[in-house]
Amino acid sequence: MACFERASPSLKKILLQLYRADKPIEIDHHLHEFGSVEYHVQSSLSDPQHAYLSISTPLLSQGDLLSYGLSHYSMEMVKAISLDVVEIVQPAKEGYQLTLRLNLSKIPRGKDSMKVISEISTVQATILSSQLKEMLWTVNSEDTFQGMCKPIKLVYHPRETFYVIKQPLKIAAVFPMRFKEHSDVIIATAFLQELTDVGSSKKWAKVPPCCWAPIPPPELRGEPFEDLSTNGGFVTFDIYPRHIEGKRLDKTVWSLLNFYAYVKYHVKCTKGFIQRRMRKRLESLVETLQGPNLGEDEQTEKVQGNARCSCVGKSVRLPKFKMLKRKYGDFTRKIKKLRFRIKIHGFRRFRQRWLTIPKFSSSMGYTKLD
Amino acid sequence: MSNTLRLYLACIRNTLDAALCLQNFPCQEVERHNKPEVELKTSPELLLNPILICRNEAEKCLIETSINSLRISLKVKQADELENILTKKFLRFLSMRAEAFQVLRRKPVQGYDISFLITNYHCEEMQKHKLIDFIVQFMEDIDKEISELKMSVNTRGRLVATEFLKQFV
Repeated sequence: MACFERASPSLKKILLQLYRADKPIEIDHHLHEFGSVEYHVQSSLSDPQHAYLSISTPLLSQGDLLSYGLSHYSMEMVKAISLDVVEIVQPAKEGYQLTLRLNLSKIPRGKDSMKVISEISTVQATILSSQLKEMLWTVNSEDTFQGMCKPIKLVYHPRETFYVIKQPLKIAAVFPMRFKEHSDVIIATAFLQELTDVGSSKKWAKVPPCCWAPIPPPELRGEPFEDLSTNGGFVTFDIYPRHIEGKRLDKTVWSLLNFYAYVKYHVKCTKGFIQRRMRKRLESLVETLQGPNLGEDEQTEKVQGNARCSCVGKSVRLPKFKMLKRKYGDFTRKIKKLRFRIKIHGFRRFRQRWLTIPKFSSSMGYTKLD
Repeated sequence: MSNTLRLYLACIRNTLDAALCLQNFPCQEVERHNKPEVELKTSPELLLNPILICRNEAEKCLIETSINSLRISLKVKQADELENILTKKFLRFLSMRAEAFQVLRRKPVQGYDISFLITNYHCEEMQKHKLIDFIVQFMEDIDKEISELKMSVNTRGRLVATEFLKQFV
């Protein structure tokens, strides 16, 4: 599966570790990426100058015709990564499509070493791109269907297929979009409509025109039903000769290979954005509710709140006796609240008038009657 | 604020003002229990007539009152699929955190997007007019938030599309 970065970060890390090691080290690493790409890096103490890198990657297959092994063009592109350092080993290791022997002593010193190792780590991307480039160039002229070439089905991931249709003046790349969740479909559809909108503007006249449609384009008539059943519609890019000239070919091919990953990544990031935004809004809504949450003791609480919230110095300046008295007042009020949970209007006055314990006057206040 | 929205919110405010006269009333069926009668609906004499206030076909508010509790259910406008999923996500997010709001119901009433349950205890702890202000403000904020979310999602999509197309240049 293609990804935004051409160089595999884990492979790069291992190769750097191997290159920078002071002493020869023995390495036997198996790396798995995207569920279908496998790397095997080997280095032995007996041959410290060389390391072996084997790659197994799903190839772009043309429908039922699986291409076994790599084409000559792909091999040439891989060799061209670094002619001095990379050497293709024939035959490849069992279970892998390609085995490379890396001559670590030929890697230049200094900053260039990083560049070379990064380029070697892009081997999987190079293999994929070279296959698509070859397909775009060489199409069997006998495969015609109603004046156009038959659609070429490319499968580099079981659920992510796309079609390349060579037409007289252009090449059309059609992507059937499929998503697992309904919300993903809606977000992706909104994005694809924006993509179509932006692509059709005058400012972006140089880019391949793209369009989105909920139904398959007429060029795909005759293809199996299960390949054309989607929930996200179809995106079509029209590639003209100017888009595959010179250096643009590489960019165009890489963008097409990355299209699915790009859309899915955007959907994932949008969902994360929505979640963050909702969380932030929740905080502000809850703050709004704190406002009305003031009971009968609003005034006293406000005063206390002000006393508490204002600078600490004020509470420090209050005498201890007054602080204790205030705390006692809070405490008795809380007890009263607990005791008198059920509020009946008018009962307070009734209680004060009829239910208070009568105060007996002290002996000091007693007036003796003669 | 548009005229229809203003009228709609004013109508809801006035209705809530009249309906939020709650008092404590223990359960008639079970001893020593105190339940919101609007949820149980076992005693018709304790229930008032429900009021349905509709702004249009898509937006409406149902106010059900009883002697000790009040239930407000809201249906928020959803113009397209994107607003639909944003509304569902956002209101579900709030409902799952209902304890933070105290008056929010965890599950909306069937046919509505979000529901509030106000009991006499809430009226004792909080001021009535502020509670009504909160409900009305909540309705405005939800509409505003959904619109902003939709705009943000579309803007993000546009920016991402621009970045993708730049790769071809």
